[in-house]
Amino acid sequence: MSSRGAAAVLSRASRIRSKLQSALEATVLEVDDVSHQHAGHAAVRGSSDMETHFNVKIVSPKFEGQSLVKRHRIVYDLLADELQSGLHALSIVAKTPRETNPNPNPNPAD
Amino acid sequence: MATSLSNMFLKGIANRSLSRPLNGLFYCTRYSTSMSNDSDTHDDFKPANKLDGSGISLTNVIEQDVKDNPVMIYMKGVPDFPQCGFSSLAVRVLKHYDVPISARNILEDVELKNAVKAFSNWPTFPQVFIKGEFIGGSDIVLNMHQTGELKEKLKDVTSKQ
Repeated sequence: MSSRGAAAVLSRASRIRSKLQSALEATVLEVDDVSHQHAGHAAVRGSSDMETHFNVKIVSPKFEGQSLVKRHRIVYDLLADELQSGLHALSIVAKTPRETNPNPNPNPAD
Repeated sequence: MATSLSNMFLKGIANRSLSRPLNGLFYCTRYSTSMSNDSDTHDDFKPANKLDGSGISLTNVIEQDVKDNPVMIYMKGVPDFPQCGFSSLAVRVLKHYDVPISARNILEDVELKNAVKAFSNWPTFPQVFIKGEFIGGSDIVLNMHQTGELKEKLKDVTSKQ
């Protein structure tokens, strides 16, 4: 697969970062590899897939007016290739710039 | 014929208890290989004719699950013995509320796991449904707990006995 070739040069964290950044025009983007926290699990031991678990925090204007489910879906869709190729779990914090203000007034999800 | 075989298989899934202990170790990142026709199923618990008839599919099973169970979670492990931190978190949050939690262990069944993913169009587990509505995974459940949205959603769900 084409992503295999890319994997050799670019870490999954970098790919996640660039995919999310370009599509979401994020004002805040944090991508933390927390795979080590899951390293004891049977299936990870002896596996060559190292980067399996990530915490992702994204602040993007594109989340405006979107429910949490929709925001997560957007992220999952952007990372579909990664999820196909060994990315196992994402912990997602997805906020709009407005929601990160001291006085947030988020729209109720529809 | 293939249809009747798969019907047997599906009936097995639909009729087995929603949640039961799993005699496995931790498989946070991969499903286990055990199939639904477990050797530990006693004859008494074999499928009845409940789902007799044609057209039964895993999607039907899931539809029925989320329709019949006000709080339905597809998870890794079972509520009393979650086998992944995210499933554990979701259960812990839901247990704050005095509501019955129905669960299926997707580690037991690859077919079911894939069917749930396709049903909700959501790639990871756990997956929580409340009153038939797809809610999301542990991040969303936790967030809704913190904002009070979850309390609102669960307020008319009958308490467990």
